[in-house]
Amino acid sequence: MATVTGEGPTLFLRKATGLVKGWSKFDAFLYSFMSVNFVTLGLFFALAVLGYVPTGQVLPALLVSGIFVTFLVVTYAGLISVMPRAGGDYVWQSRVLGGGVAFVLAVTGWWFILWYWTPVYATILNVEVLQPLAAVFKWNGMLTWLGTKNGLFVVCIVTALLAGFLVSLGMEGYAKVQKYCFYLGMGALAFIMLVMLLGSRAGFQSSFDSESTRLFGAAPGAYQATIDLAGGASALPAKIGFSPFLGDSLLLIPFLCFWILWPNWGATLYGEVRGASDFKRVMSGMMYGLWVTIAVAVVFLLLASKFFGWNFFNAGNVNFINYFYGYTTDPGPAKVWTYPPLMVGFFFKNSLVSAIIVLLFGAWFLGWAGTLFLSSTRVIFAAAFDRILPERVADVSEKRHVPVMALVLMLVPSLIVSAFYAYWLTFRTFILDATLVIAVTFFGTAIAATILPWRKKHLYENSAIARYKVAGIPLISISGFLTALFLGFNLYKWLWPPFNSDSSNLYAINVPKSLYFMGGMYLLALVIYLIAKFYRKSQGIELKAIYQEIPVE
Amino acid sequence: MPTVKIFFVTDLHGSEICWKKFLNAGAFYKADVVILGGDVTGKAMVPIVQHADGSWEASLQDHRDTLQTEAELQEFETRVMNRGYYPIRVSDEEYRAMQEDADLVDKRFKEVMLDGTARWLDMAEDKLAGKGIRVIACPANDDMFEIDDQLAHATLVETGDEDHPIDLDGFTMVSMGWTNPTPWHTFREEEEPELAVRIQRALTAVTDPSTTIFNFHAPPYGSKLDNAPALNEDLTYKSGGQALRPVGSTSVRDAVKSFQPLLSLHGHIHESKGAARIGSTLALNPGSSYEEGILQAAVVNIDMKKRKVKNYQLVNG
Repeated sequence: MATVTGEGPTLFLRKATGLVKGWSKFDAFLYSFMSVNFVTLGLFFALAVLGYVPTGQVLPALLVSGIFVTFLVVTYAGLISVMPRAGGDYVWQSRVLGGGVAFVLAVTGWWFILWYWTPVYATILNVEVLQPLAAVFKWNGMLTWLGTKNGLFVVCIVTALLAGFLVSLGMEGYAKVQKYCFYLGMGALAFIMLVMLLGSRAGFQSSFDSESTRLFGAAPGAYQATIDLAGGASALPAKIGFSPFLGDSLLLIPFLCFWILWPNWGATLYGEVRGASDFKRVMSGMMYGLWVTIAVAVVFLLLASKFFGWNFFNAGNVNFINYFYGYTTDPGPAKVWTYPPLMVGFFFKNSLVSAIIVLLFGAWFLGWAGTLFLSSTRVIFAAAFDRILPERVADVSEKRHVPVMALVLMLVPSLIVSAFYAYWLTFRTFILDATLVIAVTFFGTAIAATILPWRKKHLYENSAIARYKVAGIPLISISGFLTALFLGFNLYKWLWPPFNSDSSNLYAINVPKSLYFMGGMYLLALVIYLIAKFYRKSQGIELKAIYQEIPVE
Repeated sequence: MPTVKIFFVTDLHGSEICWKKFLNAGAFYKADVVILGGDVTGKAMVPIVQHADGSWEASLQDHRDTLQTEAELQEFETRVMNRGYYPIRVSDEEYRAMQEDADLVDKRFKEVMLDGTARWLDMAEDKLAGKGIRVIACPANDDMFEIDDQLAHATLVETGDEDHPIDLDGFTMVSMGWTNPTPWHTFREEEEPELAVRIQRALTAVTDPSTTIFNFHAPPYGSKLDNAPALNEDLTYKSGGQALRPVGSTSVRDAVKSFQPLLSLHGHIHESKGAARIGSTLALNPGSSYEEGILQAAVVNIDMKKRKVKNYQLVNG
């Protein structure tokens, strides 16, 4: 029997429910692109920390990350193709690794750690929208208050309520919001990149100096003072470059993961999979989301180096990050983060122009904020349907179709974690925990994908991807293995040596308190699972029966 | 018998592997009765075209296969049937003729669906005769009317519809394969007012909610058992399939709300596996992953004496 991919005799279809004609690649791209959000996660939490590895080069680190995340994309597209309606990591892992492991990894990665993401989202709202607006309009009292612990906590509450509201809109309503946000955000990004291309560094330096004086009362020479505060040129990455010898650039990858690891976020395929073309369509949506983002980032970084100056770009970032985490008390001559769109706004020396740019860039936040609770809601529902969580947590209000209990289970712990984040500076430095716990979940899925062709032979062989092999080895096993390798590298970097009490270590999350925080989440998940297991058993329900395969013959 | 255990699946759509699992599920889960709620038949035919040189060519999941031997043909046909499609062996000329003539396709569809259903009924007979497990299979909106007779005349497999409730050891199961309109204009769908009348007519056969089970193919509107991806006019997904909306039936919802049966079993929306409480009624949709050969099901234990659902579980066998 010879097999090739391509046109052959076509199916005859009759009129029947569910026979849809696929979906637009652009839509699939859009959700992936908004998840690997260049402006929110990229600019602040990933590209703003380059100064901590002065000998590293971001471009090769980004390229290597992109290559390995590509394997993650292939892995997830493969799993979606094998089990399309499964709803993600939880069910994939349940089928391959077992219900207990799957529950613990899924609820920690897609539910519990999202509590920590609430203040992460809030921080973005604060430093990319609220504080810049307060700054350009010289609302000094507001600017100061937003920078306080109380101010941050209130922004966390606002963010949690906003995310809850977006969930209550329903995905159909939010999808429209997201699309508008995409166009507005991209338009704004194109505009500032054009300014960065055509504008001169001297012009920016002069504008920054004068705007820092006008808005914050900074002494003349704010541009140089910003670099000096960061330790001067010798303490900062020398210049943007591209060396094939990775060296310390590898150390940047665990930071970049905070931003670049999510092209599969919310990747769910509905409907009926006809074949390999669906696998390719799902994969290409995520792939474009990932690589367009990387392309945008590369162009942006080159322009940032040209327009702001590489030293200034990194110095402004380092100053603010040091201040934000409580390592220093001086944010720099500009009292806010040197958020690139705001800096481009400074170039025009006009508050209104700056405000418009900042507001348009707010679309990147709005188009992303709705994702905060959506995935958690899905996992909570799936666990309730599997009888691990009480049935009531999947209740949906009849009038508005809002998952009330699931939202409560997200909102209340989120606010508690937000309070820790706002009022305890050390807790803020555990920021990479937010990525690590999800990376562990992805790691479990990558392992499940690697062994799927052997563990669930029938399921795999019945799928469209069973024909994709490299040297006789299933493609999904190869991509799953390489994904696990990549995630394993990052986990090693983040965690090793464990229980290191030196808080100055690069990623700051292998300290005891961070490990206790994460360990507590895994313990909580395990306890919930064990209670459910024994409680359901007393009711005559065996949880292991959920994924037991019925014999065919 | 203190409890009766029901194994409920729906929307198998011709998947042979799922049907085989269904027939084994009674013994596997120690169920007293196994129920296929609706949508028995497949949606697609896969032509296996014989060329002049005697070789066969076919395409499945976008992979084109050239088949030489009878063993290869049979292996391919098994793969096709496991996904819920019907393999048909045709000559080049037949294939071309079918491509140009919708009536020929309809005629062939009717043949393969009836043949397929007959084969399934025979398999049930072979597998379960004398085993003491009741097997019920009901038609729904995607099933053409011709299979009703086939099911009605089966020896082992029982069937029911809105005019023929089924007694389940003292409980009465009322079935309704008709649904509210879909974008595909399938065999058994009608506007909500007409569907409501049909439901009311079916309910004249039952009086006691505590001994009544609904097997209504369409899920209740807005129950979270009916969330499907929103579609554009041309039947492509809106927003990459991310935009979900309730598409269930308001008539079914109203009937469940007002009658309050002990249990309400649904299907139709494959993506919307779940459980919901509507008043005192437990409503379930096990969903369907028939193409992947996964038998999604609801296992429900009913306490006969207390007339209550003792427990339930949604499984993926």
